[in-house]
Amino acid sequence: MADRNGAYDTPGGGGGGGDTAFRRTWDRSEYAAKASARDQKIKDEGKLRYEASLAGKKYHARASTPPEGTHDTEARKQRLNVADLVGKQTIVVTGAGQGKRGKGAGFYCECCDLTYKDNLQFVEHLNSKAHLVAAGESGEVRRATLKDVHERFEYLKRKREEERSKEVVDLGARIEVAMEVEEREREEKRRKRNEKRRKTKDGLGVVEVKIENDGIIC
Amino acid sequence: MAHHADAKRALDERGYKGQLIRGDNPLKLFEKPVRDRIVESYYWKEQCFGLNAATILDRAIELNCIGGTYGVAQRPTPFLCLAFKLLQIVPDKEIILFYLEQEEYKYLRALAAFYIRLAWEKDNEVYTTLEPYLTDSRKLKRRTREGWALTYVDDFIDDLLLKSRVCATTLPKINPRLFLEDEDKLEPRVSALGEELEELDREDDEDGHSVESVLKPAEMNGHANGNGAVEEMSDEDMGEG
Repeated sequence: MADRNGAYDTPGGGGGGGDTAFRRTWDRSEYAAKASARDQKIKDEGKLRYEASLAGKKYHARASTPPEGTHDTEARKQRLNVADLVGKQTIVVTGAGQGKRGKGAGFYCECCDLTYKDNLQFVEHLNSKAHLVAAGESGEVRRATLKDVHERFEYLKRKREEERSKEVVDLGARIEVAMEVEEREREEKRRKRNEKRRKTKDGLGVVEVKIENDGIIC
Repeated sequence: MAHHADAKRALDERGYKGQLIRGDNPLKLFEKPVRDRIVESYYWKEQCFGLNAATILDRAIELNCIGGTYGVAQRPTPFLCLAFKLLQIVPDKEIILFYLEQEEYKYLRALAAFYIRLAWEKDNEVYTTLEPYLTDSRKLKRRTREGWALTYVDDFIDDLLLKSRVCATTLPKINPRLFLEDEDKLEPRVSALGEELEELDREDDEDGHSVESVLKPAEMNGHANGNGAVEEMSDEDMGEG
């Protein structure tokens, strides 16, 4: 008997694996729910229009209010981390990304599930309205008062002085400090590596391909 | 009360509803090409997004040069980007005065002076606010089109008051000091050198040759005094920086 799968399908079927695994699949139930919600909205609006016309008035659609629970946007506290994967080689899962969607090679934004090949495009995305909405930020910044400015100034001054006082001039002491810092970093790396190993099966991590200097613009 | 994190809304030609400076959108004080360069630069996108008058201090204290645009592609300096941000935020007068009056960070002071010259509309206020800082002789690094130059805080403020184009912007016109003095809106300028200046004038007239002056470093500047004679002090002492 001829297999019911068809000429292009492998026995595993297109959805579960095989040749067509890279094709995007759609969640039908989710889209069915969206469609019915939209139909319902149109019906409700139609009803309101009908009632308004009966009363002799025109129906005005209310503008949508911004979603609740957004917090104010603030400036970035650290520089964007674009250069730490430069020169490293990683392996990417083929089906992971389609164009911008999905996690592929490049700078990945988790809130929006988008990958950018370029740090300039990435930072533009991080500033865009779509991302701010996804991250729960309102896109408006709180205006600073004179008191805020004073406090911030004092804080920055203090931080600078602390850093300056930490600089040790004596060579022996400097070597010790450097060794301590290195020890701490090594511990961190070890810990992270172990966590990753524990998370993924067979003790192998998920890796991505990154070509040297891929798209870094300064 | 909040302002937008990005300048896109403010740069939109169609409906600017914020504060006006000299009757127009504050961002228009910079020319269109310069505005475009700033907004497309990586520094603006990464570091100037979402700043307010307090967090801009983080960036301002990291400044290490002043300047306009540089290089073939006319890249804006961080100084210029932060000035643009200040124009977008339009902070309160007291905040700007705080930036100007603080002593620790000279580039923040230069930034505040630049903003004051651009944004304040009353000429006599500009003069009276900026002139005391003509005694500040700390060194500043200036990024020129193709390299670097050395300048001083007082030299920079002097340029702001006298020149027409500084840091890739055409400064809005202000009345020259003599004009304001004639109108009695300003007192004639009292130089920080004070009596020593008069002594020098007197000695010059008497002896007919230039006098060696023993001047305190803190009072050095080469600014034109009210009589129109430029005192060239800079030969002996290039200002302690």
